[in-house]
Amino acid sequence: MTFISIEFLLFFTGIVFTYYLIPHKWRWILLLAASYSFYATLSGYFVLLLLISTVFTYFTGIVIEKQETKQQKKRAMLVGICVLLFFLGWFKYFNFVNDSIRAISTYMNWNYAIPYQEIILPLAISFYTFQAVSYLVDISRGKQKAERHYGYFSIYFAFFPQLVAGPIERAKKLLPQFKVEQTLNYDNISYGMKRIAWGFFKKTLIADRLAPIVASVYDSPDPTGSQIVLATILFSVQLYADFSALSDIAIGCARMLGIKLTENFKQPHFAVSIADFWNRWHITLSTWLRDYIFVPLCKGKKKRSEIYLVIVITFLISGIWHGAAWTFVLWGLIHGFYRAFGDHTKHFRGKMATFIHLDQSPSLHKWMKIATTFLLVCFSRVFFRSDSITAAFENAQHFLSPSSWNPSGIIGAFEMFSLLDLVIFSFFFIVMQLFHYIERNNTSTWNWLSQRPAVARFAVYVLIVVSVLVFGATGQGFVYGGF
Amino acid sequence: MGRLFIKLTIIIAVALLLFIPVNNFVKQSRSYNINEDILTFKKDPYPVDIINLGASHSMYGYYFKPTGLAHLDLALPGQALEYDFKLLKEYGEYLKSDGVVILSISQMTFINSENEDVDEGRYYEILDRTQIESFRLLDYYKYMYFPGTNSDNFTSALSSKWKGFKWTSHQSWANNGENYAERKTEYVEEQYRKAIEHNYIEQNVELLKEILEYCQEQGYEVILTMEPVHKTYQEHFDEEVMNRLVFQYLNPLETDVPFLNYMNDERFTDNKEYFIDSDHLNSKGRKKYSWIVYEELKSLGYF
Repeated sequence: MTFISIEFLLFFTGIVFTYYLIPHKWRWILLLAASYSFYATLSGYFVLLLLISTVFTYFTGIVIEKQETKQQKKRAMLVGICVLLFFLGWFKYFNFVNDSIRAISTYMNWNYAIPYQEIILPLAISFYTFQAVSYLVDISRGKQKAERHYGYFSIYFAFFPQLVAGPIERAKKLLPQFKVEQTLNYDNISYGMKRIAWGFFKKTLIADRLAPIVASVYDSPDPTGSQIVLATILFSVQLYADFSALSDIAIGCARMLGIKLTENFKQPHFAVSIADFWNRWHITLSTWLRDYIFVPLCKGKKKRSEIYLVIVITFLISGIWHGAAWTFVLWGLIHGFYRAFGDHTKHFRGKMATFIHLDQSPSLHKWMKIATTFLLVCFSRVFFRSDSITAAFENAQHFLSPSSWNPSGIIGAFEMFSLLDLVIFSFFFIVMQLFHYIERNNTSTWNWLSQRPAVARFAVYVLIVVSVLVFGATGQGFVYGGF
Repeated sequence: MGRLFIKLTIIIAVALLLFIPVNNFVKQSRSYNINEDILTFKKDPYPVDIINLGASHSMYGYYFKPTGLAHLDLALPGQALEYDFKLLKEYGEYLKSDGVVILSISQMTFINSENEDVDEGRYYEILDRTQIESFRLLDYYKYMYFPGTNSDNFTSALSSKWKGFKWTSHQSWANNGENYAERKTEYVEEQYRKAIEHNYIEQNVELLKEILEYCQEQGYEVILTMEPVHKTYQEHFDEEVMNRLVFQYLNPLETDVPFLNYMNDERFTDNKEYFIDSDHLNSKGRKKYSWIVYEELKSLGYF
């Protein structure tokens, strides 16, 4: 049962009805049962691993809190994190490390006997492990009390709307919301439904329509340079639509239950720098990395070069978190370099802009920065999307080759679409951009829409429903669902 | 909450009103009714002289009416051997005692998999539900009553309505059919790669053996055929490629079943007028080809 299915909508409708019908004291049982059944339909017996990780984190949290000195708390926390990372490492990184050592051994003519192991990656393990780590660290830092109610704690760990792919929430924000009695509220239900519908729109009309087109190029043995350029740009659109749709549905579902989750995206492709991009893309992961990797590693470091090294390490961890492959390591490294380079050249770039009078046309300057950032992000995504290091370097070479950017070549590359598919996709892409445009000029498109005449409002809602119903492509999993 | 309920009702009602004509449009489309002939036959069956199985090459390949033979076309686009077998089991009983089963072999036969890209909905009515592995009641009702909710169905219906709405380079005979043949080659190679990866080839070879054994058990006369293609297509699927895709698997079977290979038949290869595109016969082509097959079968002692 995935988010994009009739089964999920029926399941969720049943949960919402039951949730508001039963007394508050029983709701945690309902949410827990719903979360575990949802996870079991997706990841089968790995629900046991989720259960073990939950029990372990629950007791470790209490043990950390009971320690008297800071040093003892820290020690207990480190033990807890090591165990959680062992689970993650075993399931996600064992074969990556194993294969890498084997490749090095073959190259060095060493004898390495451990064969490839058939290990299935439990769904969402990266997400719930990061939530667990933040919980233990916050207790050790005294920012969070260890939760004693096992039921509420388990929901924090496995809350089904955000279990599969975030947002990665902190206990401090989520736990109190589960404990407060949520009443049936018109605004919550209405807003939640709109967010879910918008998530369906982005996923089925943008992401899943682009997925086969992008795959046809990236899976092709001999794509042209222009096809790689276009497919990479389209992949960026696909990835954004796919992942932000998942967050929209998660936020919408939670809101219908009265729970407010953290926003994960703020139109990242309109970022004016790489630093700005990471403040807008997968925000909950960025802040997690900042709070639990970057800040602790920066402690006591004053030299710029040391801070740049920490930046690169943080992004490397981000890369490895995304996937157990060298392509993701390189992707992280590229972003680390972008970020450090961007910071190092900030003043110089400012001076250059003044020198060529670009600062006198702020709008042009802004759009140039947006375009540059977007292209830099696209280039990094060549590594994110490629299946192997060799393919990634070949594709990157294509992407950087000036001939690949020949306008006639790029126009020709649009023939990857059938003409009908291109027209359909373009229409919905424009609708999505209009939505974003309104959002950039107002705080929320939904608020803006609520001030329009009823006919206009209803026309938009009907357009979303009918479009998803008729044109919505399904069948593709979520990209971030695999992390 | 009452307000929300009213709003929701209005939105759903309007959406449904708009959806009804879309749904009807899909329901009446050729692509949705691709199994229409089989369905008609199922409702009013009669003894047949010839049954053909296979994918689109076979579906566009045979028209035996002028020969006077009663014919049942069980081929559907992209049909894998798995469904050839299921359809044969379901409809084989209508084959006359001296009737013939034509099993079409193409470059896709051994690399095809019904799990990939093919909508199993088209078998809901022509096969028993238990025969459809991934059968789900929800999908069944969706396919039967709300086919408009499947974007592939809707796009196919729209494509067949606006046949000319394609890039110039995507037209069937653009660049003398070379573009089409190239795209098809890429598709076949991609399927071949997947087939190797997922072991489809061995499974299909086994299935072919089972079909031939089943025909023998049931006393059906069976022949293997390969339909003609245009020379632009032929150039992409030369002897070496066909050996890799088909014959290296077919030949070791050493079956005594006749194999009529018309793929490179010169009566067709140079004549565009017999083809819709470079690998599918049009009505004129299929009439001519069916006569040729009929005469060949007669000369072999069938009928």
